[in-house]
Amino acid sequence: MGKLKAALENNKGVDHKLEKQKKLRKQAAKRKRTAASKNEDAPQLDELDISRIDDTDTSADEKNDFDSEADEPEDPADANGVSLNAKQNGAAHTNGGAEQDDEDEEDEEAEDIPYSDIASLSSDDRGDVVPYQRLTINNHAALTASLARIALPLTSLPFSAHQTITSAAPIEIKDEEDDLTRELAFYAQSQAAVLAARAALTKEGSPFARPADYFAEMVKSEEHMGRVRARLVEDAANKKSAAEARRQRDLKKFGKAVQVAKLQERDKQKRETMEKIGSMKRKRSNALPERENENDMFDVQLDTESKKPSRSGDKDQGKTNHKRQKKNEKYGFGGKKRHAKSGDAQSTSDMRDFSAKGMKSKPFTGGRKRPGKARRASAK
Amino acid sequence: MAAVYKALSNGSKKSKPSTDTSTPDPTTIALLKQTRQRLLLLPSRGVTFRHRHLLNDLAALLPHARRESKLDTKTQLTQLNELADLYNCTTVLFFEARKGKDLYAWLSKPPNGPTIKFHVQNLHTMDELHFTGNCLRGSRPILSFDGAFDAAPHWRLAKEMLRQAFGVPPGARRSKPFVDHVVGFTLVGGRVWIRCYQIAETETDKSKKTDKMDKQTVEGESGGTSLVEIGPRFVLTPIVILEGSFGGPVIYENKEFVSPNAVRSELLRKKAGKFNVRARHGVETKAKLDELGLATGGKKMPRDPLDNREMFA
Repeated sequence: MGKLKAALENNKGVDHKLEKQKKLRKQAAKRKRTAASKNEDAPQLDELDISRIDDTDTSADEKNDFDSEADEPEDPADANGVSLNAKQNGAAHTNGGAEQDDEDEEDEEAEDIPYSDIASLSSDDRGDVVPYQRLTINNHAALTASLARIALPLTSLPFSAHQTITSAAPIEIKDEEDDLTRELAFYAQSQAAVLAARAALTKEGSPFARPADYFAEMVKSEEHMGRVRARLVEDAANKKSAAEARRQRDLKKFGKAVQVAKLQERDKQKRETMEKIGSMKRKRSNALPERENENDMFDVQLDTESKKPSRSGDKDQGKTNHKRQKKNEKYGFGGKKRHAKSGDAQSTSDMRDFSAKGMKSKPFTGGRKRPGKARRASAK
Repeated sequence: MAAVYKALSNGSKKSKPSTDTSTPDPTTIALLKQTRQRLLLLPSRGVTFRHRHLLNDLAALLPHARRESKLDTKTQLTQLNELADLYNCTTVLFFEARKGKDLYAWLSKPPNGPTIKFHVQNLHTMDELHFTGNCLRGSRPILSFDGAFDAAPHWRLAKEMLRQAFGVPPGARRSKPFVDHVVGFTLVGGRVWIRCYQIAETETDKSKKTDKMDKQTVEGESGGTSLVEIGPRFVLTPIVILEGSFGGPVIYENKEFVSPNAVRSELLRKKAGKFNVRARHGVETKAKLDELGLATGGKKMPRDPLDNREMFA
């Protein structure tokens, strides 16, 4: 069937490829037309959306922060929150320096990015980006007005009415993390204030210190003070026991050192004696052949040290202890006891017990073979 | 005992000059009326035990304070104005706890005075500090301010507000006539550090009239009184100053203040950033291994044409 159709088309001269291309072209043109008609509406919509989003953004900014960004360049004085606030309060802002500062800050702000955006970056990406901060609101006029409204007329009041002392110079603390110096500075400030206040109060005739027999309820209850006292006692006890323990430890260490020194001393003494004896022996063995020098060989020191005759009895050579000799012959007199049974060259060459007949007896391998390990184990 | 003391002191006072409160001139009376302060002291809901203990300590130290039960709302703080009016209080010290950990202190002068919002940090109550100092309940403190408070207008305002909150007015109910403690306010690093000391009179001070006087005057200049800390300790960071009482326009904002929430979230984010970086590295390593054909199921490396298996295939 298919072959028939192909033959027919071949006859007519139909080009499949050409037809396909035509079809595609048509489809493309159609698509283009429909797209053009849609696009007429779409871009307008997009623009509208964008503008709306922009609007809401700026309005939110203005509402949330007091800083009006560089949107309104026509009034530079109005471009910071301070003067806005001043207007609200109906008081003109007079601090020109502060304004200048604020303007500077705003110039910086234009290039900065908010802190929250930076935080999401990783630390190496952050680099040296300066995060922008909220604009400072510091309305001097309103602050002083508020202060004037509530302030007490301190100058016209007697000191006993307010009991306030302000230090003449500001307290300077270099490092606020340093607890000790910080607390000392606080202490010094308060103490100076107490002295000044006491002088002022005594001048006015007001009572200062309470009499010793005046008892009244205290801020901290007796129970609380008891706890504080118990803690103090505990601390003191802890400190004392720690000191005692330390002393004991030190003593122990010292005692050990003494012991070690004593042992070393003893060792040294022993070594010296041994050396002396060794040298003596050496000299003696050297001197054995010529006995006439014997007297020279012994140190004078040794002579004085031991008057006892030596064991070998060599000292008085003329006399021989015959009894001793006999006994020595009979029992031996010490000497080497090790290796007495081990063979040497002499015992090896000793052939007295050898017999040729013994060599001809049945061979050594004739006996039963030793069973294997497993068999031995199972036989048990 | 109090009655006896009163009788005695009245007797002694009569002999003293006219600056005394027992026989003041009318202008002084008016001034003293002005100084009459009452403090409304209350927390919000959600304070922890430490916050509550701090409030107890403050109430013990400030006889002119009225302790109120916890305020239910954290949004409608203007209710406090009505409350202050109800109790005839001229100052409100409201402690607002958030998230069961952060404590904020609102110091306000109702009905239309300014309001300062502080962040309370480094909080240690009397109970946990174990200081040996102690003072009379209700004695009037000396307020010692750092000279730095006079440098800027917002600090001047803060100083005045703190003075009125912490200064016990003369003749306040339950107040005692003697001075035996001092409250110190110091500005360090843009924050107010508050300390409370007992004034301990040492024996050298009382035996000044002995012949050893020359020796001790040098020391007695400052050594006559020593201070023993009582507690509590805390640090106030100003956040914002409002012109009205719990409302109104912002007249000061502390730029340096970083909210504890921001600090915590920053920490979390840092942690998350670490994880993200590691995860990314993991993916990159895997991709690299794939490239090299080392990962299981990865891309096979093309075989070298001079390989034996290729040559003699």
